[in-house]
Amino acid sequence: MTNFYTLTRTELVEAAKEFKFIWLTLFFVILGITQPLITKYMDVILKNVGGADGITIDPNRPVPSSAEILLSTISGQFNQIGLIILIISFMGLIAADRNSGMQDFILTRPVSLRSYLLSKLMGNWVISMFSISIGAAVSYGYTIFLFGSFSFSNFLLFLLLYSLWILFVVSLAILISTFVKSPILIAVTTIAASIFFILIKGFNHFLFQLSPGGILNLAENQLLSVHDLNYFSIATCLAFILLNLSWTNRNLKKS
Amino acid sequence: MITVEKLHKTIKKRKILSDVTFSIAEGECVGLLGQNGAGKTTLIKCMTGILQHEQGDITFHSAPIVQHKKNIGYLSQNTDFKPWMTCKESLLFFGKLSGMDKEFLQENISAVLEEVGLKDKGNYKVEQLSGGMKQRLGIAQAILHQPLLLILDEPVSALDPIGRNEVKKLIARLKKRTTIIISTHILDDASEFCDRYIIIKNGRIVGNINDEFQKSDRKQILVKTGNVPQTSEALKSSEVERVEWLSPNTFLLTGAEELDLKKVINDFAAKEMDITSIAFYERGIEEIFLEMVSDT
Ligand SMILES: Nc1ncnc2c1ncn2[C@@H]1O[C@H](COP(=O)(O)OP(=O)(O)OP(=O)(O)O)[C@@H](O)[C@H]1O
Ligand SMILES: [Mg+2]
Repeated sequence: MTNFYTLTRTELVEAAKEFKFIWLTLFFVILGITQPLITKYMDVILKNVGGADGITIDPNRPVPSSAEILLSTISGQFNQIGLIILIISFMGLIAADRNSGMQDFILTRPVSLRSYLLSKLMGNWVISMFSISIGAAVSYGYTIFLFGSFSFSNFLLFLLLYSLWILFVVSLAILISTFVKSPILIAVTTIAASIFFILIKGFNHFLFQLSPGGILNLAENQLLSVHDLNYFSIATCLAFILLNLSWTNRNLKKS
Repeated sequence: MITVEKLHKTIKKRKILSDVTFSIAEGECVGLLGQNGAGKTTLIKCMTGILQHEQGDITFHSAPIVQHKKNIGYLSQNTDFKPWMTCKESLLFFGKLSGMDKEFLQENISAVLEEVGLKDKGNYKVEQLSGGMKQRLGIAQAILHQPLLLILDEPVSALDPIGRNEVKKLIARLKKRTTIIISTHILDDASEFCDRYIIIKNGRIVGNINDEFQKSDRKQILVKTGNVPQTSEALKSSEVERVEWLSPNTFLLTGAEELDLKKVINDFAAKEMDITSIAFYERGIEEIFLEMVSDT
């Protein structure tokens, strides 16, 4: 347990030294305010771009609700460009330690491979959720300011469930880095795999529910106030995280 | 102290180590020799418990090695640390992971830094260190927790002559108090501090050589003379069957059986040769190594 603490702390200090907390947070804040901003001022923007003769905006079009704006912020901005940048930010994660011999130095100490991996998972999850939460909170505040109120508890519940998806993505990146050495390839493969899990939704809803992406659906439904919620996704997601970790554990022991 | 028995290791369906068996006693300094790709690093990683092997046993004082991680110090072949940590912070980090008591650790860090010659670099960041300094910091982290066994994977290969010399001196000092295993392919270096050599080729042990082995081969005598003798024939006797000239006044006598040094000296004295030095020729570890790993 003390080893886990020491290792996790080091991950966090390293992120702080690289100013990850700052730029990643700034990034998510910007993403968080883009959607409400653009939606609100679409008319003004289009007018100023000038000569928008062909485009007419129905002045009586329905004003989108806060829930809709939040949803497009999350599944549009956060889960696409946000996710890509996030994965790029932790592509060096295990590769750097492996290539530098640092991992060997750590593992020859009385440190179990399990606490080493858990510290990687924990460290990077905390960094990610710190930035995402602040970005999402700013987005929430700005959205309800512009578009009217939305249940804060639903928003929190959404964030909590979304954090499980992020935990899965971190564990996936860790697993993939045991197969490929180059950090760029790790990032590309992880991004491709995550997008695959998001896209399954379009192909087969049943499979999607069973996939680690199912948790995203559950999270998004918190924003839509859907009643028929599939809490089974939580268990599925956790199971996939465990699977990733034990697979990683096996790979590291073998070579 | 440490025993490896019938060890087999396969990585990605390729057999890297087969049937490796040897043991190392307390206080020994053993050189692990082998060409690039022979399997030295893989063997060491199995011995330190980083890699899992499929077959065989590795025991440390009769217990599985994983229970003795505290007693092993390890320097990996590619040594690097977190660049943003200072030397002291790095050692603090590893000391904590070794479960060292905080006060003891603080004291020990200064002692160890002094030992490896980084006393005034304690607050330097790792990114400011040269290759040789990093290597010494690597040794510092390996000896920090006062292990009983020190395993060094190529500690000097990447260094320039000066750095190499410093590290060699350090190893010579450490040798006095710990058991050491050193993997290397620089044989001259190894011969400076190793008592014994384990030679590995294609993942198999092909030789286990100690000083006795090197000396016991008393079939050759190296002679230097002041006055150059007439012909090779004049130097031969019933025991000496071959004479090899190494320089105008140095030659090597080879016998079919073990040679009698006293007899050769008396023989030469009778021939009124001015001998400046004469001794059994000890084959260097390099020569033995090349012989053992050659395919013929
Ligand atoms: N992770 C790995 N994946 C695939 N092959 C590996 C791996 N690790 C080692 N090998 C193979 O195992 C063999 C032995 O490698 P090892 O690093 O143990 O050799 P070595 O004796 O330490 O060589 P060197 O003197 O170059 O350090 C090599 O042929 C290498 O290609
Ligand atoms: Mg090696």
